[in-house]
Amino acid sequence: MKKSLPVIALIALLTVSCSKDFIRLTPEDSYTAENFYKTEAQFRSAVVAAYAPLRDVLVNDYFTSEMHSDNSLYQPIPGNRGTAIVQRENISDFTNTSTNAYANATWQHSYTGISRCNIVIDRLAAANFADSVKAGLDGQVKFLRALNYFKLVRLYGGVPLFLHEIAKAEDAFRERATEEEVYQQIISDAKDAIRELKPPAKFPQTGEATKGAATLLLAEVYMVQKKWSEAATLLNTLPAMGYDLNSDYADAFSPANKNSRESIFEIQYLGGDATGSTPNVLSFHFLPRSTDTRLLTGISINNTGTGGWNTPSSDLIRAFEPGDKRLDASIGIIEGTYNASNYFTYSSIQPVTGYTPSPGKTGVPYIKKYLHAPLPATTGSSDDFPVYRFSDALLLLAESLNEQGKSGEALVPLNKVRTRAGLPDITETNSDKLRDIIFHERRVELAFENHRWTDLLRTGRALQVINDFGKVIKQEQPFLSSDAYVIDQHNLLFPIPQPEVDINTKMTQNPGYF
Amino acid sequence: MGQQTGVITGKVTGENGALAGATVFIPGTGYGTQSGADGSYHIAAPEGTYTVAATFVGYTRTDLPHIVVKQEAPTVLDIRLNVASAQLKEITVSYGKQQAREVTGAVATVDAGQLQDMPVMQFGQQLQGKVAGVQVSQYSGQPGRGIGFIVRGAASFYSSNQPLFVIDGTPITGSINNINPAEIESFSFLKDASATSLYGSRAANGVVLITTKHARSGAPKVEFSAYYGLQKIPSGKLPKVMNARQFATFMKERGEDGLKYEPGYKVSDDYHAAYDNPDQYGKGTNWYKLMTRTAPIQRYDLTVQSAREHSSSTVILGYQEQQGVIINNGTKLFSARFNQDISLSDNKLKLGFNLAPSYRIDHNNRMSTDGVGGLFERFFEASPLLSPYNEDGSFRRDVYSPGMVSYINPLATYELTNDDYHTTRILGNGYLNYEFLPGLILKTNLGIDKGAETRKYFQSGEVAGTKGQTKGVSSAVDNGSWTAEANLVYHKTFFDDHEIEVLAGYSAQKFSTYSNNLTGLGFSSDDLPYLNNATNITGGSGASAYSLLSYIGRINYNFRKRYLLSAALRRDGSSRFGIDRQWGNFPSISAGWVISDEKFMQHIRGLDFLKIRASYGITGNNFFGNYDPQATIGTYYYNFNEVITQGQTINRLANNDLRWERNKQLDIGLELSVLHNRINITYDYYHKLTDGLIQQRAIPVSSGFSQIIYNVGELKMWGHEIGINTKNLEGKLTWNTSLSLSFDRNLITNLVDPGFIRRNNTVTSDYYRQQVGHHLGEFYGFVFLGLYKDAEDLAQSAKYQSTPANPNGSSDVGTIKVKDINNDGVIDDVNDRTFIGDPTPTFTGGLVNTFSYKGFDLNIDMTYSVGGKILNAAKWAYQTNMDGSRVPLAAALDHWRSTEDPGSGIYPRTKTGTTAIGRSVNTQWIEDGSYLAAKNISLGYTVPVRNSLLSTLRVYFSVQQAFVLTGYSGMNPEVNVGGADQTAGVGIDENAYPIPRTFSLGFTTTFK
Repeated sequence: MKKSLPVIALIALLTVSCSKDFIRLTPEDSYTAENFYKTEAQFRSAVVAAYAPLRDVLVNDYFTSEMHSDNSLYQPIPGNRGTAIVQRENISDFTNTSTNAYANATWQHSYTGISRCNIVIDRLAAANFADSVKAGLDGQVKFLRALNYFKLVRLYGGVPLFLHEIAKAEDAFRERATEEEVYQQIISDAKDAIRELKPPAKFPQTGEATKGAATLLLAEVYMVQKKWSEAATLLNTLPAMGYDLNSDYADAFSPANKNSRESIFEIQYLGGDATGSTPNVLSFHFLPRSTDTRLLTGISINNTGTGGWNTPSSDLIRAFEPGDKRLDASIGIIEGTYNASNYFTYSSIQPVTGYTPSPGKTGVPYIKKYLHAPLPATTGSSDDFPVYRFSDALLLLAESLNEQGKSGEALVPLNKVRTRAGLPDITETNSDKLRDIIFHERRVELAFENHRWTDLLRTGRALQVINDFGKVIKQEQPFLSSDAYVIDQHNLLFPIPQPEVDINTKMTQNPGYF
Repeated sequence: MGQQTGVITGKVTGENGALAGATVFIPGTGYGTQSGADGSYHIAAPEGTYTVAATFVGYTRTDLPHIVVKQEAPTVLDIRLNVASAQLKEITVSYGKQQAREVTGAVATVDAGQLQDMPVMQFGQQLQGKVAGVQVSQYSGQPGRGIGFIVRGAASFYSSNQPLFVIDGTPITGSINNINPAEIESFSFLKDASATSLYGSRAANGVVLITTKHARSGAPKVEFSAYYGLQKIPSGKLPKVMNARQFATFMKERGEDGLKYEPGYKVSDDYHAAYDNPDQYGKGTNWYKLMTRTAPIQRYDLTVQSAREHSSSTVILGYQEQQGVIINNGTKLFSARFNQDISLSDNKLKLGFNLAPSYRIDHNNRMSTDGVGGLFERFFEASPLLSPYNEDGSFRRDVYSPGMVSYINPLATYELTNDDYHTTRILGNGYLNYEFLPGLILKTNLGIDKGAETRKYFQSGEVAGTKGQTKGVSSAVDNGSWTAEANLVYHKTFFDDHEIEVLAGYSAQKFSTYSNNLTGLGFSSDDLPYLNNATNITGGSGASAYSLLSYIGRINYNFRKRYLLSAALRRDGSSRFGIDRQWGNFPSISAGWVISDEKFMQHIRGLDFLKIRASYGITGNNFFGNYDPQATIGTYYYNFNEVITQGQTINRLANNDLRWERNKQLDIGLELSVLHNRINITYDYYHKLTDGLIQQRAIPVSSGFSQIIYNVGELKMWGHEIGINTKNLEGKLTWNTSLSLSFDRNLITNLVDPGFIRRNNTVTSDYYRQQVGHHLGEFYGFVFLGLYKDAEDLAQSAKYQSTPANPNGSSDVGTIKVKDINNDGVIDDVNDRTFIGDPTPTFTGGLVNTFSYKGFDLNIDMTYSVGGKILNAAKWAYQTNMDGSRVPLAAALDHWRSTEDPGSGIYPRTKTGTTAIGRSVNTQWIEDGSYLAAKNISLGYTVPVRNSLLSTLRVYFSVQQAFVLTGYSGMNPEVNVGGADQTAGVGIDENAYPIPRTFSLGFTTTFK
């Protein structure tokens, strides 16, 4: 027994001495919330992470904000009725329900961005570095949070207001705020961002959010609220920050000319296969489905599973005035033939202006803005996507001035936009007529930039425009179902995603949806 | 000195003559020996009067008192041992061995020797239907894979529900697939809380103790066994899809109907060309035939055993190979095991080493064959109109006919993808036991489970999703765990009647893994399948670990081996839980009463043994992700002016309050032997309540996160298990039957808000819903009411997605009609779906019949399951697609075309935009999954050998998966989409690698 005592003692010692540390393990290959958010570099990194969901919102928002309008529709593919096709078509057709995964994704990714902003905002308070640095970071995420909430409140109405990091499960179950409360928060965040952020230091800019971006955001919020003079005041501060129009309309979309003087905020993309590259898939999502898109993309891509979306509508093409340079800069025609699977074999690229199909061929319009061949890789392009451009600001300014009865002043920014498009000046000063002219100008200037649906909402034209458009487009495109583009008041808001309603008893659905 | 020494000598015999390797000893003295090959033994001992005892595995210990030893002459003592009844057999239990009669928990044992005729690569296949309460399913036929164990309906929403496997005392952390069945001597299945509680936090799903072969005293033994078999997919239940002529007819009709019913419908020229004249086609390409084959399976094992008085050694070398019944696919396993045991210091010190290295080569065995969109499904979806080859003999890439979704040639995919996965594994342990004082033993054990895996994957650009994008992957995983245990055992009998055994100890285990993964793209050609020919390489690496620290204690007490008591406690600390919730206590108590030993039972004739026992205890489940309750930081990229910028932030919510999933289990059991042990019956009732079920709880995505790991609820499981072993015939013709029968029930009794958990947010693959008041995995969907018969039926019935602007919605005469559950006149995805079937079987089990006559033996091994439902997603979501996007079942030719020609009433019309509801889960998909399967039928013959070299030779022929009797229309009623993972559903058929029927011929021989 004596011999065994040391052995037992050793075992006991080993057991006790290492027990605490032995089972206290944290991941070796990643940080945890406990050991991150310490240094300035880590906070910068957390801010970068808050930008990333902009891309995820975008791949869904071109359905919810652009195809969900009279600007574009999609390539029919009756042989594939999978939900990935049908649900996306439904958004375009205004027949989407609360179970629509793609409409719901816009909601989800907007909130993912908001959550990442909240983490930074909350944790910055305890951070140990210069306040001036903190302000720059806080301003960026306040802008991003406001941008996301602005998207949400316009698409869904009063949404839950999440303003702090989630600490426990219960925090995740919130009730809806009113639209008013959401707008108050957006205004507050945008004002913070304007105060904390600086104008672009130089052009081309870095691509980070700036005072200019926050200014235009707040101005647009005021436009929604019909606070015309507040909007105009803000918009008038932009030229002093260095913004101006590029001389050529198409330059705003060129990957060679990113973050230019005209750009107020754009979502950054980088093609290629390198780790961390963030390619833009829209370049081939917006083309007719084909087993080989080489003619347009410069490299072989099979987009039969991803493409076929956002096909410019004939109504939009007709909306361009003769001589508008923007038509050929925005839209092209790809000519070819459909096979029985509705895949398109490309045969030639044609200009949209004055196009008539060659015998035996079909011409399909496609969006040129985000397509700059050759793509760097099959995963996508380096085309940035504009959120705010200076021409948008000019047209908002024109609109705000016109609404204040200053229609003469309104012509200045309006004609600046038109001049670049190669169009004659407008001289109309009847404010009702000018309102329509400015609205029309926004449609063609900002086509495919995901402003159309929110502009229709903001101007109160959605019901009229969409129902009228539906009657025409269903004649032209018999594949559309009879209830496509038949909308009433309830369609002016998207349904709250059904899973949110299902799991959260505090959540209420928008009227008219099950 | 001075004392005179005498000798006891004699022969030990058993049922069939001399027993080699029997232990003969004088209890309490240390004098003892083992009998030789002829059964003779020889013990030298000081003069005196002794009790001499003899033991041999499977025989009752015999004590012969009053044996006098004198110096003058040897005492001759021949000892005859009697075969032990099942109750006296010593069985492996947690942390030790016990006589079966003394066990107070629910433990079932299986002797691997009985399983030898089943030529399989995985021991799991041998165990199907063998043990009541242990459900072993073969959900996929992938070579060397696809077996799942469920003990007592064990279920967890999130954590694994596989039992803990313990090999020779060491809990293993890697896969069980690398273990050669030939190395195994016996299995003990620990089912209730009493039996398992010493494994504490890992015991909730039951524990399987595996004992490998250790040599016994006697003549050295060399055994060689081999088999060779041929596997073939049984053709009876293969999906009968349309051949070329049928498909062309279907498509032609579809086009005609489109033109007839749908204004503006267009039929393109290529469609006309392909389908207008179906008679030009014959059967066309049979993709299934091209991609499957009759494939060999073979295994060779050499076992060399020798044991002397103080040492024993066993070496087992094995090679096994299973080619897949799908082309270009298979697995090989090289394995070895060295088991060495030594005893010193008069048997006071025992030590040993077990070491089992293995090396496995999987070829194309990790490709996504199974499931929706899996490669096996693709065999049936490629167009029969097209040849797999171009005219120049090269592979055609696209194999879709006009109107179909674009498919890449599955034959080319299989031929031009090479995925080699190599797994090296070393499983080993060393132990040292020392008896300080009589009855007090220190036991120590150090075990390792080390694995190294590499993968070399190369896929030609010809079959890549993006044409020309040849892809190579090189990855490696290094993982391993060690387990260190030490415990003290004190065993003593007081006043003859009171026997007590006390165990106290501790255990520490740590697992860690490191992995890396490189993907290469941009190969200039397909010639060199290595990444140094890639122009673009991306990759990453990662590491992970978990640790477990435990204290264990147990007291076993019995009075005259008649009244049995046991209490055990394990305290576990696990790195996987929230910082304040790392420790958990897992106690159990149990008692047994051998009623048949009571006087009042003695007069009952024919009753050999009757024991009742009861246990209650708490076990836990920690089989889930290593750091799941910690908020980790994830990486999200963005770029600023084309400079890649790494962003990092929280990607997972923390839950510091996450606690153990606790499993409180009551067990009441009965063991009965009657008619001279010819009928043995074991019965158990169990009742388990699992609370704190761990699951990713769905939370509103507006929080920025979609889930948080959470203790979500409570699940009740209960059931009855019956095992009956009978010796129906004895004598020249023997016939033994073994029946196992399990009734397992479950009920979800509590769940966090909103009281249910969906599988996902679709209607097409939201197969089931976990909901309070329902059973696990109950299917959820629409209620199928047939097709809308005519305009009147349509007008009077609710229609799918109807709106004022589109009053028929996506319904029409001849489309699928479902029940309007909320009676609002409209069918929608939210309010008109309900629970439509329960996958839990009423009962399951197995039936084994063994016959022997002279040298022949016949073994018929069957399993069955009755009453469970299967959701045949493979058939309805894919094989009956009416849009012409893939090749449907031939039966779908008989679909609705007009009110005059409504077809079979099963398959709807092809009208554009109306078919989606058929691909949403509905009652049409639900089938009865009852089956009776002949897992193995084998006929053996022991050849009488009169040969100087061989001592025994047995040959056998066997058929595995001989037949499956079932009404289920799919291929495999045991299928499940998530394998053994019930989180992914139960009884869901999304297609899987088919289970082949195997004919094999084998032999086993021992050498003199």
